[in-house]
Amino acid sequence: MNTTVCNPMIEDYFSQLEAKMSDLPQADRQELARELRAHVLDRLDQATVATEADCRVVLKALGTPEEIARQYRLERIMSRSAWRISPLSVLRTLLRWTITGVQGYAVFTVALIGYVLSASFYLAALLKPFFPHNVGFFISSRGLNLAAWPQPHGVAVLDAYFIPLSVLLGYLFTLGTTVLIRSLMRRFATLKQRV
Amino acid sequence: MALLKNPAKAEASEKWEAQLRKGCLELAILASLWEKRLYGLEILRVLEANSNLVLAEGTVYPILGRLKEEGLLHSEWVESDAGHPRKYYWLTDAGLQKVVSMAHFWNSFAANLNHLLKPVLNGKEKS
Repeated sequence: MNTTVCNPMIEDYFSQLEAKMSDLPQADRQELARELRAHVLDRLDQATVATEADCRVVLKALGTPEEIARQYRLERIMSRSAWRISPLSVLRTLLRWTITGVQGYAVFTVALIGYVLSASFYLAALLKPFFPHNVGFFISSRGLNLAAWPQPHGVAVLDAYFIPLSVLLGYLFTLGTTVLIRSLMRRFATLKQRV
Repeated sequence: MALLKNPAKAEASEKWEAQLRKGCLELAILASLWEKRLYGLEILRVLEANSNLVLAEGTVYPILGRLKEEGLLHSEWVESDAGHPRKYYWLTDAGLQKVVSMAHFWNSFAANLNHLLKPVLNGKEKS
C-alpha cells in the first residue's frame, strides 16, 4: 500500500480534529487519533496505490472532525467515570457547556449556588476555633445565620457539635450538587443528541 | 427543547430515525463482540453487514471508549501484518451480562411493538 498522495489530506484532517478537541485531556485525544489513523490506513489498504479520490472517500465515511469531536464530548458526559466529586472538574465541564446555551447556563448557576453554600460551611468550620462566639448555628427571626460580627443575633444551637456538623453539611452540599448536576447534564445530553 | 416542538415533518421523521439508530448502536456494538475480539473496523464491517446503524464511521470510536470506561469492554493494541497496530476490543464479564439483558429487553420490546404495528401494516397492504 502506498498512501503518499493521501498524506497531506490525512494530516490536514487530523490537525483539524486536534484543534476541535484541544481542550480535552491529551492522552485521551492521542489514543483516539491513533485509533482513527489505524482505521484510515486499514480502509486505504484495500487499494494497492491509494489515490486522492480513495482518500477523500475514506475520510468522508469517517465523518467530519466536528462530528467526531461532538460525539466524543457527548460520550464523556455520559460516562460515569469521567465524573468526580471535585467541584473544580464539574465546574470546568459546565463552563464549556455554558457557552453552548441557556440550559448550560442554568445548570451552571445551580452548581455555583450549591458549591458556594458548601464552601461557606467548610469556611465556618475552619473559623470556629478562632471566633468561637461569632461562628455557630444562630437561629433568630431572620432564619439561620452562620457567622456575624460584632454580635450574632438569635440563639446558638448545637454549639458543641458545630465543627463536625458544619463539615458534614459542607460535604453533603458538594455531593448533592454534583449528583444533581450530573443528572441534569445527562438529561440535557440526551436532548442535545436528539436535535 | 424548542427544536423538538415544531420541526418540519420530513425533518422530524429523519430525526426519529437517527435517534432510533443511535439508541440501538450500543446494543449492536456489544452484540458484534459476542463471538470474538474485534478491532474497530471489523466491528464496523459486522454492523454494515447486519444493519445500517452507522452514519459516520469515526463516531463509533468514542462510543467504544465510553463502553470501556464503563467496564463493559476490555481493549488492547495488537501488532498486525498491515504495519500498524490495531486496537482490539472484547466483552468483560459485566459486558457479557449487559448484552444478554439488553438482548432480552429488545426482544420483548420489539415483539410488543410488532404486535401493535400489525394492523397498521396490514391496513397498508389492503389499500
